[in-house]
Amino acid sequence: MSRRLAAIAQGLALALALALVIGLLSRAWARPAAVVRVLMPAPFADATADLVAAFNRSHRDVRIAVTRGPFETEAVSDLAISSLLLGDSPYDLLLMDVTWTAKYAAAGWLEPLDAWLGPEALAPLVDGARAGNRIDGRLYRLPLVADMGLLYWRTDLMDAPPRTPGDLAAISRRLQEQGKVRWGYVWQGRQYEGLSCVFVELVSGFGGQWGPGEPGFGLASPAAARAAGWLQQLVHEGISPRAVANFAEPEALQSFEAGEAAFLRNWPYAWQELQRPGSAVAGRVGVTTMVAEPGVSPAATQGSWGFSLLRGSPHPDAAVAVLRALTGEASQRQLVSRYGYTPTLQTLFNDPELVAQRPQLPQLRRALDQAVLRPLNPGYAQLSDILQRQLSALISGRGDAAAAMARAGRESDLLLRASGQELSPRPQEVGA
Amino acid sequence: MNADGNVGRTGGIRPEMRTGAWVALLLLWSLGPMLWQLYTSLRTPAALLAGAGGLAGGWTLGNYTAVLTGDPPFWRYLLNSSVVGALSTLLTLALAIPCAYALSRRRVLLRLLVGGGLLAAAVFPYVLLFLALLQVARQLGLANNLLALCLPYAGLQLPLAVLLLQAAFAELPPELEESAVLEGFSLWQRLRWILLPLMGPAVVSTGLLVFLFSWNEFPIALTWISRSELLTLAPAMARIAGSSVYTVPYGAFAAATVLGSAPLLALLLLFQRQIVAGLTQGAIKG
Amino acid sequence: MNALLLMAPALLLLLAVFVWPLLDYAWLSLQAQSVFTGLEAVPVGPLNWQRLAADGRFWQDAWQTLRFALVSVGLELLAGLAIALLLHQRWRGRGVVRSLALLPWALPTTVMALGWRWIFNDPYGPINGLLQSLGLASVPFLAAPELAWLATVVADVWKTTPFVALLLLAGLQMIPHDLYEAFALEGGTPWQGLWRITLPLLRPYVFIAALFRLAQALGVFDLIAVLTGGGPASSTESLAVYAYLNAMRFLDFGYSATVMLGMFLLLLLGAAALLVWRRQAEVRA
Repeated sequence: MSRRLAAIAQGLALALALALVIGLLSRAWARPAAVVRVLMPAPFADATADLVAAFNRSHRDVRIAVTRGPFETEAVSDLAISSLLLGDSPYDLLLMDVTWTAKYAAAGWLEPLDAWLGPEALAPLVDGARAGNRIDGRLYRLPLVADMGLLYWRTDLMDAPPRTPGDLAAISRRLQEQGKVRWGYVWQGRQYEGLSCVFVELVSGFGGQWGPGEPGFGLASPAAARAAGWLQQLVHEGISPRAVANFAEPEALQSFEAGEAAFLRNWPYAWQELQRPGSAVAGRVGVTTMVAEPGVSPAATQGSWGFSLLRGSPHPDAAVAVLRALTGEASQRQLVSRYGYTPTLQTLFNDPELVAQRPQLPQLRRALDQAVLRPLNPGYAQLSDILQRQLSALISGRGDAAAAMARAGRESDLLLRASGQELSPRPQEVGA
Repeated sequence: MNADGNVGRTGGIRPEMRTGAWVALLLLWSLGPMLWQLYTSLRTPAALLAGAGGLAGGWTLGNYTAVLTGDPPFWRYLLNSSVVGALSTLLTLALAIPCAYALSRRRVLLRLLVGGGLLAAAVFPYVLLFLALLQVARQLGLANNLLALCLPYAGLQLPLAVLLLQAAFAELPPELEESAVLEGFSLWQRLRWILLPLMGPAVVSTGLLVFLFSWNEFPIALTWISRSELLTLAPAMARIAGSSVYTVPYGAFAAATVLGSAPLLALLLLFQRQIVAGLTQGAIKG
Repeated sequence: MNALLLMAPALLLLLAVFVWPLLDYAWLSLQAQSVFTGLEAVPVGPLNWQRLAADGRFWQDAWQTLRFALVSVGLELLAGLAIALLLHQRWRGRGVVRSLALLPWALPTTVMALGWRWIFNDPYGPINGLLQSLGLASVPFLAAPELAWLATVVADVWKTTPFVALLLLAGLQMIPHDLYEAFALEGGTPWQGLWRITLPLLRPYVFIAALFRLAQALGVFDLIAVLTGGGPASSTESLAVYAYLNAMRFLDFGYSATVMLGMFLLLLLGAAALLVWRRQAEVRA
């Protein structure tokens, strides 16, 4: 009797153990893949769709779910912020513009990446792409693609591009007098972010800097006044059309593409547009860096997109694995060759195959080496608005450049004090 | 005007034709934009881009399929809005009816004082309140919760509701209630069995206005709700407008517009009289 | 006592929703609460108010908001009066037309703003389609700063005229019929009747409609947010949109509260001016 009981007990125990093992095993087999949710602006979601599909095919334990965000970039940030403010983020990774990073980091919404990527995470990148990812010494973002301000010039109208503001104005005037072009130089003069981008590289070229450390956030300086004054002068003298005050990127591009102007300030994407059939200047366009005063090195406004890890992600390890894969060499290679983006990895700029396909890559790299950042400040959007307002008024023909820049400087200082920047000083660090 | 109408009825043709022309213009102005949405929603992307060319081809229901099978499907927003609308209306009425009753039985001075405050609150552009309400949501954990959203909605609509109901209570003869008191009815019984049945039309009008407000409300919903499956119609439309989840947008946008308008058109046609009564009462009594 | 108990829940909610926010803003406008402070409040004294006074964007938006409100409410009163006069006449199908004409008012603003975005689209919208078929160039209604604000006015007039028309219609129905008959007997034309009888007697209703609509138009948010987003070059941005951006995009709650309180004070000023003007008009009459 007791033996039978013991046997039954043994059998039960065995069955239980077996069930436990099977249960555990099946749990392991069927362990649901970690779903890493990524929010990107629509164009990037489209450009990375193949990469994401390939990743999902080759990984069992991690899946990428991309949310295709709005087209307008600020709207993407709005979408993310509306969740983050409520402490309820549905995303693990966010593809961020370089100007957002400081704000998100200050709000405490980003997880530093150093623990996963180590101190050398930015080493494989070209110099210009390293800037804008670290804040207070911590790495918050890994760039995917870069953008930089370029000066496009007409190879059929001159032998070499101008190097100084004076050259540019002189060549323009000569070509205009000869009736070869209607306008000398077209750029983005509308009151929007593009105007700040025009200014930030120019003020560097005049020996100044838009940012902290100098009076009026760098705007109450002679360099800022000269840079702003030069832009105003271009319009006054008719080198740039009056309508430039309402030009965004497409308008400036259109004017240059129609053969109306000798010079254009734009981003790398314009190259392909200018070479397509139907462009009046196809095959007659060169790319270089923005002009700078003699003795000052030229500068190119950097714009870049990169991935950040949002704090509170339920599976940060998987998210970082995705971040690595999407910013990796294979991924960037495809974005360059198929969609014409500018990479951030050094090796790709020297890749013979890619250079054959995109002959302007070496020139882009040279421009990227001269990259300057817009201020890495959590209040960047408002600072930029203050600058745009004063510049826009100047370009439309009103006022004195030095006075306007001084005013912008005072407003910037007031903004920083009122929003509490000086109460809890955070050293703003630029660069790698 | 009135004379005009009379002449029209007694024989002259021209005034009537003139009226007809004006009515046609009014309908074109009011409905034209909506009809254009309906037209757009039934056209293929190619037909929309080709301009007003041929009407023979290019018709499709694909835009509706796209919107209704999106993630989340569009009916979800309509459902969320209906839930929020219905619950906010109930909550508002539950709070407003006792308040309006008590107010209507108070001395004139208090009524004027409170009434003035309520009028100011009813006219106040409530969008100014969003930041403080957002902070409440953050601190009390009320975000992303459709039930919680009814609280600010009820608060925002109370001024109008109390004003409308108070005016209706004031119109009931006081003798009615006095005799009920003599017969030993409690306050609750008087409200429930004697006063409220007489208040039917006013309650319905008020409820409809509150429902319309809650259905249409945008800034508070925008800041309190971030999860897409919980969005109400208004912020969902804004999000659709900002994003381009649908590949060629405007056909799908228009389908969303039509789907978002249809329930309101039905409501309007069913309850036209009550809605108009509520609206005009609100303005005249207030 | 009993009465107070009945009113208490509603009054509490009203205090929480309407009064507390304004007190909160008054306090918040003296704090820095932004990303710089980790969204914690830190006292800064009147710095936010100094910033407001010097903020070009605030004053530009204040002017744009006022312009939008005055022009659209003005047009709504005119169109509303015309529609009310039309609906006041007796003709068959008046009830149906009245509900159909009310439809724009009943729709969510965001829904119809999206519709207008399509109507104003350049170059595929119907207006530009019409212009192009007439051989004219298409017009960038929403991309040109000098046109975009007019587009917002058109959309607003479309949506809210029915509301104004209904209020004025209610007013028309209060005017005793005999007045017109007596006036007609004295040889007055209908047009003179409009000026001598209708408009003077309608004045209180016009005043109420204008008051309601001005308050709403000065707080315009939904329409701008969806139709233009405040652009181009913030030429259609209203104060409410600016306050919203300060909080939700710039993460500067202290300044957002200051902007809203500043707007509230401007509204109070406007309301006071309106009341004084009305009192004087009454005294004169």
